[in-house]
Amino acid sequence: MLYRTAGQFKTTYEADHALFPVRQDAILLGIILVVAWVVLPLTANEFAFKALLVPVLIYTLAALGLNILTGYAGQLSLGTGAFMGVGAYACYKIITIFPEVNLLVAIAMSGFFSAAVGVAFGVPSLRIKGFYLAIATLAAQFFLVWLFEKWAWLYNYSASGAIQVPTIEMFGVVVAGPNAKAITQYYFVLAVVTVVTMLAINITRGRIGRIWKSVRDMDIAAELVGINLMKAKLSAFFVSSYIVGIAGALFVFLWRGAAEPNLFDIPLSFRVLFIVIIGGLGSILGNYLGAMLIVALPVVLSYLPGALGIPVSSSMVEHLNTMVVGALIIFFLIVEPHGLARFWAVLREKLIIWPFPH
Amino acid sequence: MKRLAKTALLASGLALAAAFAAPAFAQDAINLPNLSYRTGPFAATGIPLMNGQRDYIAMLNARDGGVNGVTINYEECETGYNTEKGVECYEKTKAGAAVTQPWSTGITLQVLPKSNVDKIAVLAPGYGFSPMADGKTFKWAFNPPSSYWDGASMILQNISQGNLDSLKGKKIALLHLDHPYGKEPIPLLEALAAKHGFTFLPIPVGLKEMQNQSAQWLQIRREKPDFVLMWGWGAMNAGAITEAVKTKYPMNQFIGIWWSSLDGDLKLVGDAGKGYRAVSWSVPNSASKAMQDIKKHVVDAGKSMINQAEGEFDWVFYQRGVLISMMSVEAIKAAQAKFNVKVPNAEQVRWGLENLDINEAKLAELGMEGMIVPFKTSCADHTGHGGAWMLEWDGKQFVKASDLIKPDRAAIEPLEIEKAKEYATANAPWPLNDECK
Amino acid sequence: MDFLNSILIKPFADMFGAPDFLMQVLWEGLVSGVLYALIALGFVLIYKSSRIFNFAQGIMVVFAALTLVGLHEKGVPAWLALPLTLGVMYLLAMSIERVVLRPLVNQPDIILFMATIGITLFLIGFGEIIFGGENKVMITEQLGIPTGSWEFEPFGGFLSIEQRDVTAVVGAVLLVAALLLFLNKSKMGRAIRALGDDHQAALSVGISLSTIWVVVWFIAGVIALATGIVWGSRAGVSFALEVIAYKALPVLMLGGLESVLGAIVGGLAIGILEKLFEIYWGQPILGGNTETWFAFVLALIVLLFRPQGLFGERIIERV
Repeated sequence: MLYRTAGQFKTTYEADHALFPVRQDAILLGIILVVAWVVLPLTANEFAFKALLVPVLIYTLAALGLNILTGYAGQLSLGTGAFMGVGAYACYKIITIFPEVNLLVAIAMSGFFSAAVGVAFGVPSLRIKGFYLAIATLAAQFFLVWLFEKWAWLYNYSASGAIQVPTIEMFGVVVAGPNAKAITQYYFVLAVVTVVTMLAINITRGRIGRIWKSVRDMDIAAELVGINLMKAKLSAFFVSSYIVGIAGALFVFLWRGAAEPNLFDIPLSFRVLFIVIIGGLGSILGNYLGAMLIVALPVVLSYLPGALGIPVSSSMVEHLNTMVVGALIIFFLIVEPHGLARFWAVLREKLIIWPFPH
Repeated sequence: MKRLAKTALLASGLALAAAFAAPAFAQDAINLPNLSYRTGPFAATGIPLMNGQRDYIAMLNARDGGVNGVTINYEECETGYNTEKGVECYEKTKAGAAVTQPWSTGITLQVLPKSNVDKIAVLAPGYGFSPMADGKTFKWAFNPPSSYWDGASMILQNISQGNLDSLKGKKIALLHLDHPYGKEPIPLLEALAAKHGFTFLPIPVGLKEMQNQSAQWLQIRREKPDFVLMWGWGAMNAGAITEAVKTKYPMNQFIGIWWSSLDGDLKLVGDAGKGYRAVSWSVPNSASKAMQDIKKHVVDAGKSMINQAEGEFDWVFYQRGVLISMMSVEAIKAAQAKFNVKVPNAEQVRWGLENLDINEAKLAELGMEGMIVPFKTSCADHTGHGGAWMLEWDGKQFVKASDLIKPDRAAIEPLEIEKAKEYATANAPWPLNDECK
Repeated sequence: MDFLNSILIKPFADMFGAPDFLMQVLWEGLVSGVLYALIALGFVLIYKSSRIFNFAQGIMVVFAALTLVGLHEKGVPAWLALPLTLGVMYLLAMSIERVVLRPLVNQPDIILFMATIGITLFLIGFGEIIFGGENKVMITEQLGIPTGSWEFEPFGGFLSIEQRDVTAVVGAVLLVAALLLFLNKSKMGRAIRALGDDHQAALSVGISLSTIWVVVWFIAGVIALATGIVWGSRAGVSFALEVIAYKALPVLMLGGLESVLGAIVGGLAIGILEKLFEIYWGQPILGGNTETWFAFVLALIVLLFRPQGLFGERIIERV
């Protein structure tokens, strides 16, 4: 009933190709945007911003980047964490060398560094496929993290080997550093994520997106119909690493405030990959759903025993949490291997024809 | 199935609401959060420390009903030594906290800038960032009773019998975890090497190599350093000590920092580890009154989490945990007395930490004679620089093997001030504490 | 010129200048190589029979070792703890097959790969609840493994060989031999290989998928136990051991995902080469710790020339 599509007639091709052929989709998106931009900032407290909302958005962005590579172009990568690191360190160097640069510009520029590194490590994808490629991207993962550790210039020769985010102002408002307000940071991240998501939707719907999908589905067949595989794969690596790099810069500058090299180690890569798989390969919406599940759920879960009044020690909660996350991953893979995004798709189908079963 | 789903939904909704709502705190208790780690690759070293901290508070609550009649609410938040979790825990526990304990150097580095804004003191006993000693720059951070640089200086004093120039021409290796913690002593050791003419060789151990250090020990065998200092943590300590035994590196030339003195690690090698030393600002003394009280009120009452079969009660780390809790409790007591309140707030506890005076008389009063080096903090000195002793592994346990060693402050202080200033400029605008002279 | 000298000439001069040290390096490399090969073998077996890239092999090593030590701590004698641990590994294999694999039959590779990471997380949480996070001592002596060392003086130098490392190498060789015998001679082994060659054909001649999977995961568990004993006796048993799973990945790339021989050769080659590189190039020139990535980069270079690894099955693509 809520989703009845009857009566919505399309009279032009443009209307049929629109982003939202179904009016209710647009309304729903509007509601979500209002919630994200107005309702949440009014209701959330500082902890919710710092431990739930901002990380979910940043992980969503990183997952979006990986999803373009893995979900759309079909190239499995386990090096996401390191590419995030490249973005973060590039942004740090830009900010410390040119302190007058606007943070937004610095973040946008740092994406190009990770994109370049991503393309360099993407070259083997022309010859190596499947799990072999996945392990090959681990070479990037381990090598880059080692480099972050050893190349003292990257962290300005600080004794601890960690980078610290200085206080950064933008248009008179403190956006990064210890004095930044959580709500400012939330809006900053939300704005970046919204813009990138819109761009990503359009790229993946368009010509390049279709090329990527054809490469994913069968690269030899794609080659036979005249698609330049090298261009297709490397462009996927470029766009993906660019977004991942931005996510890495946001990760450190707008959320963590400091970072040491092993922050970007393999667990981070796996975390982002979980989000992509659980959310749904080849889906933009899935990244959001996956990030909520993988990032926010453990935080929420750790409150559960306290809220229910069950006395458990914090380490026990943590153990149970790890177990639950592992079990949930298996559970969702079994119930819906195509990810949470497919859940929504099925639900939407049902809603459209409701109350009839078929 | 449906009901199960409903229950799950309800439960998660409840938890979500709890996460969003500001946590409510009872006003008649003092909150002492601890960003603990009982999981992950560093759990082995974390568990006894956390147990010690927990049991001391439990003992005070059971024996005296808290401090001056106010119960202490000791609350752990599990980080797994993971900085990401650490910051989450910090945010979660900071409301109503008397003082916060970040535990890893990585988490300390992240929490440090935030503590200025949130106005919560960071207590990092014997770890963190050595320049934190400079109270003028780091108003909210405390690392009593000795910093890593103090530790490095004391080890060098001990191996050179007090005359660093006698190390001229010698080679000193630093086997360290490749992590902010392990890199801490490098600037000081480099400076001292240049000044006193010894060769300094850092040997990093990656987080993934902790249990397989054969490459590092082959390097040690090739380079034949006269001394190997170790800044190890978690599984790395055990790995290094077994490799040292295997390489037949003379144990009396192998010296660890206080975090490399876990009894459990040495038990792996037993007698073969005889002669291994670690510099430590605490010494276990199970017969002391405080420890006996813990035994009576907590351990024997079945409220402790320690592993009694392993003899954890007598371990250096367990008793060091007790001493760490003692520091925060003493700071709270000082704040209570000074401000005449029952439940001091974070700012008042900070004053307490700044005016800690742990002397022999105080220790006797607490029933902890000789367990910790006496030290005194002040507005400008947030460490106290109490010094340390050498502990030596006798095949079964660590025993005190030296008199009190004092760090060479004249050599360290300029570097501390320089690095503190560097930190403040890199993080400008950094608030300085101008009250200190 | 100095730079060229330091990468091309000096390392070799060092090698031949101190041959006893070189021998020690090679021996250490060989021992780690054997361990890498063992872990990789666990991966290969499972991949061969079910096309599952089993990331949980690393945690199975930890889990097996912890069970063994944990049982012994509870007062079970070593000779009994060993078969009991094997029983636990069998139960584990059975439950993994029943709960995780059976519902996921025929899913894409990446889904199964993710599922094994799910298993890893689950086992980490579960294991920490049961065994606690402390570093435990492997019951080396109780299992009858010698712990002394032999010392030689080749070329007037000094070479020390740990008896437990020798035991590890010998044990690994025996284990591999038994495994090869089992795979090639027994009925079950042939069924496993058949399943690896052609899933559907094997199913159609009546080979039971679920039985085979339980058996294969159990064998992987046995290999995990062997690895856990050897590695644990060197540095204690704790969850930090889990990271050794990463070490097996480049071995797989180098040797090929389906090849038992590849896992062995790849493991030994990587063990020795990474040690040589670290000692003679990494530490003097690059600041050390190159072992974290050297194997991956080496394997990557090899893959550029042979995309299926040295011994992998040739990838034939059809449209």
